[in-house]
Amino acid sequence: MEQLLVPMICKVDKVIQETPDIRTYRLTFREEGLMDQFSYLPGQFVEFSLLGSGECTFCISSSATRKGYFDCSIKKAGVVTADIHTSLEEGDEVGIRGPFGNWFPLEDIKGKNLLFVGGGIGLAPLRSLIQYCIDNRSDYKDFTILYGARTSADMCYKDEIKEWQDNKSLNVVLTIDKPEETWTTNVGVVPKILEEVVKPVIENTKVITCGPPIMIKYTIQSLVKLGFADKDIITTLEMKMQCGLGKCGRCNIGSTYVCKDGPVFTNEQLKSLPDEF
Amino acid sequence: MSFTTFVTDKAGLQKFYEAVMASRETYAPVEKFGKFDFKRVARLSECDPVSPIAKTLSIKPLFFPRTAKVMKYVATSAGTDVSEVDEDPLAVKRVILGAKHCDARSLQVLDKVYNWDYIDTDYQKRRENTVIISTRCDKADTHCFCTSLDYDVENLDALDVLVVNGADGKTYLEARTAKGEALLGETFTSDAVRVTKEEAAPEMKKQYDAFAASFRLKMDYKEVNAKLAKIFDTPEFENVSGNCVSCNTCAFVCPTCHCFKISDEKVKDTGVRYKSYDSCNNGYFTLMAGGHNPRPVKYRRWRQRAMHKFVYYKERFGENLCVGCGKCTISCPVNISIFEVVSQVSAAAGNRQ
Repeated sequence: MEQLLVPMICKVDKVIQETPDIRTYRLTFREEGLMDQFSYLPGQFVEFSLLGSGECTFCISSSATRKGYFDCSIKKAGVVTADIHTSLEEGDEVGIRGPFGNWFPLEDIKGKNLLFVGGGIGLAPLRSLIQYCIDNRSDYKDFTILYGARTSADMCYKDEIKEWQDNKSLNVVLTIDKPEETWTTNVGVVPKILEEVVKPVIENTKVITCGPPIMIKYTIQSLVKLGFADKDIITTLEMKMQCGLGKCGRCNIGSTYVCKDGPVFTNEQLKSLPDEF
Repeated sequence: MSFTTFVTDKAGLQKFYEAVMASRETYAPVEKFGKFDFKRVARLSECDPVSPIAKTLSIKPLFFPRTAKVMKYVATSAGTDVSEVDEDPLAVKRVILGAKHCDARSLQVLDKVYNWDYIDTDYQKRRENTVIISTRCDKADTHCFCTSLDYDVENLDALDVLVVNGADGKTYLEARTAKGEALLGETFTSDAVRVTKEEAAPEMKKQYDAFAASFRLKMDYKEVNAKLAKIFDTPEFENVSGNCVSCNTCAFVCPTCHCFKISDEKVKDTGVRYKSYDSCNNGYFTLMAGGHNPRPVKYRRWRQRAMHKFVYYKERFGENLCVGCGKCTISCPVNISIFEVVSQVSAAAGNRQ
């Protein structure tokens, strides 16, 4: 086990200040050739070490269809993430283990309408799948992205969202919690905009959602109310993890290992778990 | 493969132990401050192969160290250098003398989690290179309940060499695995008599029956499994966990608890990453950055502990995550007993139906 816990060294190629408290770190492996061997699928995560500070679990927020790097988008939320924001800059090195966990059900969503519902930093895991699906656009039908943040300044990936808005094959709906002077589009929490503005087609649609726990809860309630089947609602769970290997016991919910059996679950699967996440 | 049984006397057994110690690295219970821990020993006089179960720590640290170095590193602005730690001292060929049956069983339980999906090769190597000699207890201790659980204590094959002190004053040694057979073959050179299983059976059975009759605690584990599985939401968990001070001692002495944490300790530019014991009784165990905690209160953590042992692990890996050794209860500073916890909660579940 000890050997499996030793990370590979990655270099920070680029730091993007997404919002006042979210930064995207673009990483490549220091050892030549490793980056090409690093294969992962949307929804998987890595264990990210700021050596000396500690190791944290972050989803990979980019898609392997974009070659030569991978992204981790990190919100300042605790001790290690605060250290990362304070001290980790371009050219610095970090430890990476992974990829770990399962991934979004790529086969199941083929040929379907896609509806992405994200809130805040919850867009990070969705972005990996959004990029993957954009890069395989002909595999999918209607493609809608609903994204909400507390304020316009708290929106992640602002430049990329502009690209999505410019892409005629995507329907992008943005919302913020409270009105702002320069904000010309939707105002209101994500579930409200989902029901009143997006009004999604239920048939043949897969919904992929992620956000703060409270947003996920109310979004799933709305989706169920709208008529979506539990198996068509897909989310990715936030859970404390450490080893990523199905050993350390931290991410257990009932007999499920979120780090191995998840972090991606359908609502059907979530309903069978003890209510403890 | 049929395995050998020998009959000898106390002196013959001592000779065998000494021969083992002379030929292999040997770990055995060594007394310190009235408590026994498994340490490397060179002579029989340093240890007690039949140390009292209530005062002996488990053999788990010989397979899953309390604290292990994962790596060393130097991290400066010039770059990062990670180096692996020295060779694993626990991976050498070795014998454990004086492991209790519950200790031996705990390895079979741990094998399941260490050998699914990602294989823990360090654990596996330690396991493969270890031969376990275990003397069957003569009497159950106050908190023992191994005979109530999902394993056959009498015919346990988790140990390699069984030692039984017969009621007839003779000592019986039985190989239970190929590893045990090999060890007996190589080192057992005293004037012991080789006997057939049938010849040894009556005395060994007599000893087992007397041992099995000495248990104060008895439970129907199948009933506990079934009832707990149905009772996630019950105030009974609050009742049984109220006194807990979240010291985590129960998990640290438990031979089957395997939760761990990874921590970094860095002084100036040089650091070490450790893997060390952790426990689901810790309030911070599931606390996430940002403050969300699925088990923020004590009764939920105790529920996790009880359910993991008697429901979840059983569902996932087919075994109870408890061997009935009573170590958690003996060490608990506020006298909480896992036996009572699961018995009381499942009784409450029964009453509710």
